[in-house]
Amino acid sequence: MGSFEYYKPESIAEAMALMEESGGKGVYIAGGTDVMVLIRQRKLSPGCLISLRNIGDLAYLDTSSGLAIGSGVTHNAIAKNDIIQTKYTALADATSKVGSLQIRNIATMGGNICNAAPSADTACPLLVLDARVVMAGKNGERSVPIDEFFLGPNRVALRPGEIVKGFEMPAFNERTGSAYIKHTRRQAMDLPMLGVAARVTIRIDGDQIGCRDALCGIENISDILKRFEDEKLVCEDVRIAMGVVAPRPMRAKKAEGALKGRVISEVLLQEIGEIAASECQPRDSIRGEAWYRRDMVKVLTKRAILRVVDRIIRPDDTIWPERLW
Amino acid sequence: MKKEITFIVNNEKIAIEADPKWTLLYVLREVLEMTGTKEGCGYGECGACTVIIDGQAVNSCLYPVMEAEGRNILTIEGLMTKDGELDPIQKAFVDEGAVQCGFCIPGMIMSAKALLDRKPKPTEDEIKESIEGNLCRCTGYVKITDAIRSAAGGR
Amino acid sequence: MDGLKFVGKRIPKKDAPLKATGEAIYIQDLKLPGMLHGKILYSKYPHARILKLDTSRAAALPGVKAVLTGADVPNNFKFGFMKDNPPLKSGKVLSTRDEIAAVAAISQEVAEEAIDLIDVEYEELPGIFDPLEAMQEGASLIHEELKSNVLKLPWKFVHGDVEASRKDSAFIAEDSFTTQWVTHCCLGTSGCVASFDVGNNLTMYSNTQIPSLAQNDFLEALKAFGLKNRRVRIVQTTIGGGFGSKLDTYAYEYIAILLALKTRRPVKLVFSREEEFLATSPRQPTITKISQGCDKDGKLTFREIEMVLDNGAYTSWGATTPSVMMVPISSLYKVPNVKYTAKCVYTNNTYSQAFRGYGNPQATFAIESCLDQLAEKAGVDPVEIRRINANEPGEVTPQNFRITSCGMKECIDEVVKRLDWKNKCGRGDGRGVGMASLIHVGGAARVYKSDGCGTIIKVDDNGKVDVITGSSEIGQGSDTIIAQIVAEVLGVSIDDINVINNDTDVCPWDVGVHASRTTFVAGNSALGAAQKIKAQIMDIAAKTLSEPVDALDMKDGVIFSRNDKEKNIPLGKVLRKAHYTLGGRMLVAENFYDPPNENFDQTFRGNLSVAYAYGAHGVEVEVDRETGQVKILNYVAAHDVGKAINPMLLEGQIYGGGLQGIGYALGERMIWDKGYLKNGNFLDYKMPTVRDVPPVQAVIVESDEQAGPFGAKGIGEPGLVPTAPAIANAVYDAVGVRIKDLPITPEKVLRALKEKAGQKT
Repeated sequence: MGSFEYYKPESIAEAMALMEESGGKGVYIAGGTDVMVLIRQRKLSPGCLISLRNIGDLAYLDTSSGLAIGSGVTHNAIAKNDIIQTKYTALADATSKVGSLQIRNIATMGGNICNAAPSADTACPLLVLDARVVMAGKNGERSVPIDEFFLGPNRVALRPGEIVKGFEMPAFNERTGSAYIKHTRRQAMDLPMLGVAARVTIRIDGDQIGCRDALCGIENISDILKRFEDEKLVCEDVRIAMGVVAPRPMRAKKAEGALKGRVISEVLLQEIGEIAASECQPRDSIRGEAWYRRDMVKVLTKRAILRVVDRIIRPDDTIWPERLW
Repeated sequence: MKKEITFIVNNEKIAIEADPKWTLLYVLREVLEMTGTKEGCGYGECGACTVIIDGQAVNSCLYPVMEAEGRNILTIEGLMTKDGELDPIQKAFVDEGAVQCGFCIPGMIMSAKALLDRKPKPTEDEIKESIEGNLCRCTGYVKITDAIRSAAGGR
Repeated sequence: MDGLKFVGKRIPKKDAPLKATGEAIYIQDLKLPGMLHGKILYSKYPHARILKLDTSRAAALPGVKAVLTGADVPNNFKFGFMKDNPPLKSGKVLSTRDEIAAVAAISQEVAEEAIDLIDVEYEELPGIFDPLEAMQEGASLIHEELKSNVLKLPWKFVHGDVEASRKDSAFIAEDSFTTQWVTHCCLGTSGCVASFDVGNNLTMYSNTQIPSLAQNDFLEALKAFGLKNRRVRIVQTTIGGGFGSKLDTYAYEYIAILLALKTRRPVKLVFSREEEFLATSPRQPTITKISQGCDKDGKLTFREIEMVLDNGAYTSWGATTPSVMMVPISSLYKVPNVKYTAKCVYTNNTYSQAFRGYGNPQATFAIESCLDQLAEKAGVDPVEIRRINANEPGEVTPQNFRITSCGMKECIDEVVKRLDWKNKCGRGDGRGVGMASLIHVGGAARVYKSDGCGTIIKVDDNGKVDVITGSSEIGQGSDTIIAQIVAEVLGVSIDDINVINNDTDVCPWDVGVHASRTTFVAGNSALGAAQKIKAQIMDIAAKTLSEPVDALDMKDGVIFSRNDKEKNIPLGKVLRKAHYTLGGRMLVAENFYDPPNENFDQTFRGNLSVAYAYGAHGVEVEVDRETGQVKILNYVAAHDVGKAINPMLLEGQIYGGGLQGIGYALGERMIWDKGYLKNGNFLDYKMPTVRDVPPVQAVIVESDEQAGPFGAKGIGEPGLVPTAPAIANAVYDAVGVRIKDLPITPEKVLRALKEKAGQKT
């Protein structure tokens, strides 16, 4: 394999200029955990590597209003951030489980999204958190909803030379929470067989939630859901996203529509799971069978929503009890 | 096109003519002839190549050498004192029976060191997190987590 | 307590500091002057004719010093015990791990580039990937020169009259079980450096587990290459994991030898991780039909097993695993009537060799799963049926194994107690418990005509002891065990003992690190040598101290008289006195210990081992009925080890073996699809991480085996023998479905649950 130049620009403009000079043969590299693997596998033969690691403008993490994360921020930095852990929890769920700690120390969310594997862990949380992708190009900046960013397996809506600058998410009220469930075969260093993320805003009529104690106790799921139903816990707004069950990470929009505005109950969540399962198009692969993936969408959609409601109602419990859900 | 770069390895300033396509692991093992850091897979999937860069545990097999420029790198060779005393983490691994074939051990120890330098009294979950990216086939991990706990002062 | 100073103590491994500092040299780290790098080209297809093989572009690449193909293998040389495996294949390729060409170049990079420049034209042929299909009349022959795809191997064992006892059985359970390919995943990949001297004597730097046997294999190869009467020296670098993967010689080793011969330079050939997955030989997969019967009280009446083994394209030790499978089949529990047949069948798949347990895990999976089924039919509690039929000391089993020490009942009791079995079984609420026992050889195994290990001990002028052993250290701690035994016998400090084990020019013969034999055989060998050296020391000291020999003792490196404490002398001093004098002497002792076990006769009877290891594993699981995932809540591994020479190292074997067993049961499998390996990497091959470790208790039961060194038996392999059936049995207790095909994946559990509920998937 021939060698290549390795550039370390310090600004976005410098990086884009280098890319242009390379005549499109250059490859952007951030953490390198995808690019270096592709090079080693001989699937990628770059004319040059343009490192984004030293560009300060990509390294921001701003929680002052809503959430803005530069594409160069590492998974570990995101996972350990207090505000993200409490207010954008699905993102903390995802980034804390990508690869291993060694990977999370250098791999970036920007890289994870731009690589756009259907299994990209950060994709589903960003989808449910209404993220917008901010891109920098020759003609300035533009942004698109992340749902429009994924075009297919390993394909995103970046124009030649463009760089993802970062991701923006709105602020959510205290009746909103999120979760990402990564379904894996082993408990670390794994890609998801499939993943489901959910964001829910609940409406609480009255001051107290009586079922708070139910969540603290060891009652089974059916009993807990019965309490939700009895207390008329309403799902005011919802987003559901699924990964590895389609050529790109996707929203379960029909399921969302069927849940929004309704009282949460066991029957409803069962129904929502089935609708989400019907919306996805899982495949058989060496990582999982289609029928099982579809089944798990049913199960994990329900559990993700339950986990989110638990987080909203008991925000101070930062250690989720070891339940099946 | 090789380029001269300098960085610090185990508190010593190193200057080399680096080929940009080299990984840090290649440089450590083949150029600097420091074979303590091992290659277990070459894809960042086993952790045998773990080194500490600016305080963070990193898979050196995926780390482009050009990014190492100007950085502070710690490898397994840098842990023992100049008088030949084992670092407390190394000593704990020896005393707790955490070493069998030993191939994963340099990487394990570096992951543990990165953790304990940052958090001297880690929780059980933090201990597991620090080595969840380090595969071991011999020990079943039990004595490795025992060793890290012991090095952290608890048992 | 027992007055022992080193034996029974938790002493750290002697080589641990070297490994913890990164100073240990593994084959990957070895560099020799003038060394070249070898690389192998593998077949693109699982079954094809090679129409054209053009290496000219590779040979012309600057830096390439040799290119070899099948045509360069002299005298039609083939290795493997069936002699069916050429190191470089020509004409036809029979699997995707077939080696068809190799290069030696000045760097790894040039070697890889050269491989890409080799042009091959294939005619793809239809392959057979199912042994049941390959067995059929009229199936294409994998090896055209043979008459059948079924190997001519004698795997059949019959004891008593199974047919008659079937009729007399009150209950019979019958079922089929299948097990998968799993691979060793040694963190240190395979590799060697081959180097010839001017006389064409070969030195192999190797991570083999069988230095003496490998020496033999390479001498055979040299003869075939036209080099008779040469020497072969095996030097072992630090071994980065074995588990049986290095119990046979491999094609890559012969290729390295041929490259070294051609280039007259040392050639290093080390596997990448992809090669390690593709081209090392995994655990033997099995297709098993089993039936077991019992009387109305649950006493076993018979056990009948028929197995089909996918032998792959060439033959290695996988084809001999039935000989070890017979151990549990004939002797796990008391079974009066036994019948076992196994067929090994060629296919276009990969081929298997030794992997910790050597067939025992596969057989025990079937036996112990089926036993639970039988217990259910008979209305007997699964613990009780095991107690009723448990092996006992003094028993002679159908294979004529003479059971000496036997802690089986104690192991079962430990499991029952520590799992809180009585309260945890039969809940059927998603949580359940299961158990399984094991028998394995614990006092070596007479697989070859010799089961021996030699030890040479010499003591220097400073009282430092060198123990030169034929046994290999593969991470299991054999060096430390040997040092502990010698230190105990001699009465010197363990720090004064240096174990040398890695050079066949120096070390005596040993059959190899297999069959969990190193503590027993190398230990006994070292013990005998230590006793001999001690006698020599005492002889000299008696003269020096003017005391009778039997009044003397040695402690902490000082010899003293029990009658008169004033009469004492340090070891070094007494040896210098004996050495630096007219007609002086130096102390050397040797001991070749060949255990008093027996080869099998033609009916597979014989006391294969001097002692047998027992154990029981129990597990509590929680099955998520919506996802099919199995979570282990508690794991108890109880092992009868005779005596724990080093409890800390012993626990390490139990934890390590146990987690390999859990991987075998729950998640590991090589995905071979029509002859192609789909998951040859650490991401998609699900070897357990630290987060997959369940709460586990390692319980040591000591039954004091008289024939073992200080009472010890073997432990290397038992750790993963009963894990799969224990888990399968627990899943059945938890949710009422039995998974009979390993691994027990969430998909299989969920599918079974749905079928049970009458639902479709």
